[in-house]
Amino acid sequence: MQQLINICKGLDVRLKGEAPLDMLSFSTMHYALVPDDFRWITPKLCVKEGDTVKVGTPVFYAKENEKIVFVSPVSGMVAAIVRGEKRKIEYIQFLSDGKFDSVPVEIPTAFNPNVIRETLQKYGLWNLLRERPFNRIAQTEATPKAIFISGFDTAPLAPDYAFLVDGRQAELQKGIDVVVQLTSGKCYFSLYKDRNNAIFEQLANVEFRYFAGKHPAGNIGTQIHKIAPVNKGEIVWHINPQALVMIGKLFLYRKLDFSKRVVLCGSGIKRAGYFDLVQGAAVETALQDSLMCEMPRIVSGNVLTGKKIDISGFTGWYDNQLTVIPEGGERKLFGWMAPGFRQWSFSHSYLSWFFPKKKYNFDTALHGGVRTLMLHTEYEKVFPFDILPAELLKACIVEDIDLMEALGIYEVTEEDFALCEVICPSKIEWQELIFKGLTLLYDSTR
Amino acid sequence: MRWIKNLSKKAEKRFEKGKPLHPFYALFDAVDTFLLTPKTITTRGSHIRDAVDMKRIMITVIVALMPPLLFGLWNLGYQHYLSIGIHAGFWQQFGYGFMKWLPMVIVTYASGLLIEIIFAQIRGHQVAEGFFVTGMLIPMIMPPDIPLWIVSVATMFAVLFGKEVFGGNGYNFLNPALLARGFVFFSYPAVISGDKVWIAEKADAFSGATPLAIASSAEYADQLLYLPSTFDMLAGIIPGSIGETSKIAILLGAFILIFTGVASLRIMISVVAGGYFTALLFNIFGTSVYASVPAYQQMLMGGLFFATVYMATDPVSSTHTRAGQVIYGLLIGGLTIAVRHLNKGYVEGLILGLFLMNVMAPLIDWCVIQLNIEKRKQRQVVRAKTAKCNEV
Repeated sequence: MQQLINICKGLDVRLKGEAPLDMLSFSTMHYALVPDDFRWITPKLCVKEGDTVKVGTPVFYAKENEKIVFVSPVSGMVAAIVRGEKRKIEYIQFLSDGKFDSVPVEIPTAFNPNVIRETLQKYGLWNLLRERPFNRIAQTEATPKAIFISGFDTAPLAPDYAFLVDGRQAELQKGIDVVVQLTSGKCYFSLYKDRNNAIFEQLANVEFRYFAGKHPAGNIGTQIHKIAPVNKGEIVWHINPQALVMIGKLFLYRKLDFSKRVVLCGSGIKRAGYFDLVQGAAVETALQDSLMCEMPRIVSGNVLTGKKIDISGFTGWYDNQLTVIPEGGERKLFGWMAPGFRQWSFSHSYLSWFFPKKKYNFDTALHGGVRTLMLHTEYEKVFPFDILPAELLKACIVEDIDLMEALGIYEVTEEDFALCEVICPSKIEWQELIFKGLTLLYDSTR
Repeated sequence: MRWIKNLSKKAEKRFEKGKPLHPFYALFDAVDTFLLTPKTITTRGSHIRDAVDMKRIMITVIVALMPPLLFGLWNLGYQHYLSIGIHAGFWQQFGYGFMKWLPMVIVTYASGLLIEIIFAQIRGHQVAEGFFVTGMLIPMIMPPDIPLWIVSVATMFAVLFGKEVFGGNGYNFLNPALLARGFVFFSYPAVISGDKVWIAEKADAFSGATPLAIASSAEYADQLLYLPSTFDMLAGIIPGSIGETSKIAILLGAFILIFTGVASLRIMISVVAGGYFTALLFNIFGTSVYASVPAYQQMLMGGLFFATVYMATDPVSSTHTRAGQVIYGLLIGGLTIAVRHLNKGYVEGLILGLFLMNVMAPLIDWCVIQLNIEKRKQRQVVRAKTAKCNEV
């Protein structure tokens, strides 16, 4: 047994609406690529409305690096290119023909890092690899000191990763064999102790690390910090097991297949469960008969870090989860004085503290007004990094790049501060402020 | 309760931008969010939020202030009737204390909130809740017989120069309640000096000195016999400010604060440890009569317990790092006892100890932050060296 890394500083937020391991049927004709899923990318279109596409047809590339190509996940036609303010591309919508015909795939017989890089870039799978610092798409020319894969997620209502890749072990192994060629160091695979890890433990070419404890044990940032923290000038990559399956399929079967399994969960839907769908699928058909509330908050991802989408929205490129909770905003008389048996709180100032195992129906209420940062040390209780979260936040607010670097911003991304944001009595938008800090730092390095 | 919600909706329209009542929006918002929880929802980042907000934190502190307050009100009456030699029942004593306290607390809230609302309106902010606690604290740490106009001036000074000029709640480096007390201490020494002020409307013939005054002014060991018993000091049946006398009631409040996680246990333990250790040192090396008072009794005198629980733990003016909190606490305790012993001009060294450490807190934090930064740099150096060795 490997050494166990126990995450004591953290918090498991208990939401109602957990999904059983049931498969639900799903079909849609509408798919989309959303450039906002990829940070700091300026899309340059390769298609126009009405064009016919196949799975793997380049749709746009990054202006910053032409090798980073984004391809169509379906075959059919480009139904619409929707633009927002200043003609910013909001999304490129596809109408699927239901066939999922792939472009012809040619992979050179030589199996070396350069071939792998070129292949992944050519067929639009490179964007599945992400890089720390900055949590952006991996740089095409870089060699990371290690690659991290997480075999579990501890976020509220997170999917069971073993179920996500069930029956696709061979593709997963191939995916690992491929990406491991890209690093000069090791490939770490994190597992949660006492979970069903049988599928993953058979994998070769990876070093296993076992975690226990509370969320954010499943966040890749926490795992990197505990296993091999990122220093200035160093680069690590991380990738999701389902993305490895996509890469594995490309190299095993010479076929592009962007299908993945996504969990639908939350207290705002009638029936939770798992769907098999293709990247960028429209969520409307999955939700239209299932919504329980008039005003739902649909989140692609988990409720801590996910992106708010409309009923007509699309699943996020990197998300394995779709959460629906009711919108909040109902005003209550003297709510701040109530005993609070139904109010969840990390602090013990509500009596719900006496029921630590109870699950709650969360809504999106902010529960208070925005104030200045006051309880500075409180956040450290849910922040398992050897970093002072409040100080780093202040450095981001005052835009002091040197201080941000010194305080360890290279090791973190905004999702690592999600719990700080959740428990914040001052109702500060931590993730937004950290992201602004990261953007500032990124701009200064360009 | 629908009618309140409707009323709030209607009223809000009158305070909107461009409407005649808009200059008073901060006041409306303060009342509105006091009555009804805000309707705001999350927009990005975490979609769910903790039910706790600053209002809840502050109300928790106020609840925790209730045990020493209720005891203090009774004790105020008890000490008064004792000094004038009239036997009075419990409710008469409590009623006297309450009637002494009520004008003080009204004046404090009126003066402080006036400044808070004006600044909230100027800045376009919401009225912060911090003053609810400050306003409750100030009457509890003032001498009971203090003139109301001084309370008003001190409160205004504390809110204006302790908080608002630096940017409002959360930006202050001094605890506003402490500043109000310090302001009175340094600006009106004549009004509050001597033993008279610690019992409300005391009869002149009655001594009424606080234990701290007895101990620090004692020149002969015999004089220490006038000290109240340890039990009286613990229970709080002694002259003093409303809040500070009963250590048992304060411990009850401390329990609430610690249990709810609102105040830092680390700071509380550090202050007590720092104070006790310093008192022990004076027990061993001190030559004055005061130094012969057992360390535990020294801890029970004055406002040390009250300040430890309710003022040293102020999250804004204390240190903002965990390691810093230990140093901060130890030094508050140590300095308080040291000033009490070494400077007879300032019998209650607590005010000076707290002031000094409030000011020093950012420095302590700076040191702790630098240590964290250095640790990270070291890690980088070690890695670079290992990498080089591996290459060789």
